[in-house]
Amino acid sequence: MENAAQLFLLLALAPLVTGVIRTLKARLQTRRGPGILQPYCDLGKLFRKGMVVPETSSWIFAATPWVVFFSTVLAGLMIPMVAAEAPLGLFGGVLAVIYLLGLGRFFLALSGMDSGSSFGGLGSSREMTISALAEPAMMLAIFTVAIGAGSTGLTEIAGAAIGQHWRFLAPAQMFAFAALALVLIAETGRIPVDNPATHLELTMIHEAMILEYSGPYLALLEWAASIKQLVLMTLLINCFWPFGLQPTWFGFAALEGIGWLLAKLLLLSCAIVVLETVNAKMRLFRVPELLAVAFTLGSLALVSTFLF
Amino acid sequence: MLMTHVLDLQFGDRIVTLMAALVLVLQIAMVTQRWIVLHIRIFAAQSFFLAMIAATIAWYNHAPHLYVAAGLTLMVKVVLVPILFERLVKRMEIDEEIEPIVNVPLSVVIAGGLTLVGYVVAESFYKPGEPGLGHNALAVAISLFLIGFFTMINRRKALTQVLALLSLENGLFLAAISLTYGMPLIVELGIFFDVLVAAMVLGILVYRIRETFESVDVSRLRRLRG
Repeated sequence: MENAAQLFLLLALAPLVTGVIRTLKARLQTRRGPGILQPYCDLGKLFRKGMVVPETSSWIFAATPWVVFFSTVLAGLMIPMVAAEAPLGLFGGVLAVIYLLGLGRFFLALSGMDSGSSFGGLGSSREMTISALAEPAMMLAIFTVAIGAGSTGLTEIAGAAIGQHWRFLAPAQMFAFAALALVLIAETGRIPVDNPATHLELTMIHEAMILEYSGPYLALLEWAASIKQLVLMTLLINCFWPFGLQPTWFGFAALEGIGWLLAKLLLLSCAIVVLETVNAKMRLFRVPELLAVAFTLGSLALVSTFLF
Repeated sequence: MLMTHVLDLQFGDRIVTLMAALVLVLQIAMVTQRWIVLHIRIFAAQSFFLAMIAATIAWYNHAPHLYVAAGLTLMVKVVLVPILFERLVKRMEIDEEIEPIVNVPLSVVIAGGLTLVGYVVAESFYKPGEPGLGHNALAVAISLFLIGFFTMINRRKALTQVLALLSLENGLFLAAISLTYGMPLIVELGIFFDVLVAAMVLGILVYRIRETFESVDVSRLRRLRG
């Protein structure tokens, strides 16, 4: 029951979050922008279309959309969304979530090279550079939270956070939050690092890898990208602002939990929108500076849990 | 509810720790900064939080003379010095981009390492079980001091070195208020006057360096050797 509910929430909510971010961003830039339901229409359209497969590609090209989609959904089922108890929490903790997302990224990078286009290889190389720099920062931030809870299981982490509403004021938590927020921007391909709306050859990263995909495969990849964004955002808000996180899925508590989740997601989306609007995209060689800041903040967070 | 918080020493300690952490983050942000004007503004923000720490400590320890120190910090470091420096940048029409000697990612990691040194050094001053306010701030103060030194070494332009010196001085001020809850008022006044005079003198010096050498790059001063 909870599994089905969280699965539904993941699949249905992810395009909505993307749509809300796009619409808010358009409004902030005084454009009308597409409606918030536009990503659903896009997915529907892509699923109905035929697809073109490059002649040079191997089985990796066909397998990647499925691997990416299912590993992301699986990771999404391991995180606490509405209740502290994650449906597949028994199968693995936060490390499993991170490396399931890593598996998806690995296949995405492979398929970028597999299609034989030079842009694909370029995108893969950039993506792997950025993720190699983002991963240590992310791990340090996650370990900070895990030490506080005494476990790397997300159910335990979220459970320990419930009720301690002012805990995020502790310096270690703040450092870890800032580090994870920077990583979130890099991992979801948001503006200072990558531009999700661009198809300009010189700047795109994620879009370059999936350039050769079309039709249902493209739909799966786009859907997976928005689910990944939702998973990382949920991870961030439920580890650091556990307001309204319910101990279990049960009747009205679940509804209340969903309400809180939506409110917090909206708040985080607003923050992302403002950040994307006031910043210009960084040059690729400046991205390591941003991630070095994230790494330093993450290591400070870890150290200050022991010292404060 | 609010009143109990306002009087609770532990809550005060948390606030001071939080703001000290913010000060540290701003110091690291200064290391990464490439634009002089933004660097000056981050310095102003850092000094603002420092003033808030001083005011908080004054409130919880009933040390009214610290309010004067907080007010002076606000006036000198948040308002006067930034305005002075921004005008200097405009008047000299210097290149607004900072070129550090060590590249930015590495300097951030070094700054993180220096923070660790700061924490390890401060650890030996800390007595467990002793009730106090902002003893965590000492670690931050030592880190500010070390990172300030590092930034001075790492910069070529005289103006950014002066800014690093001032953030180093922020670290000294933080150490003073967190360890002793403030020095005697007359000493504080002297220090602030010093800072203001130093900022002005160094500002003039920077201007003169530029007049003579057509640049504020201090590595060109080697020519003086003759």
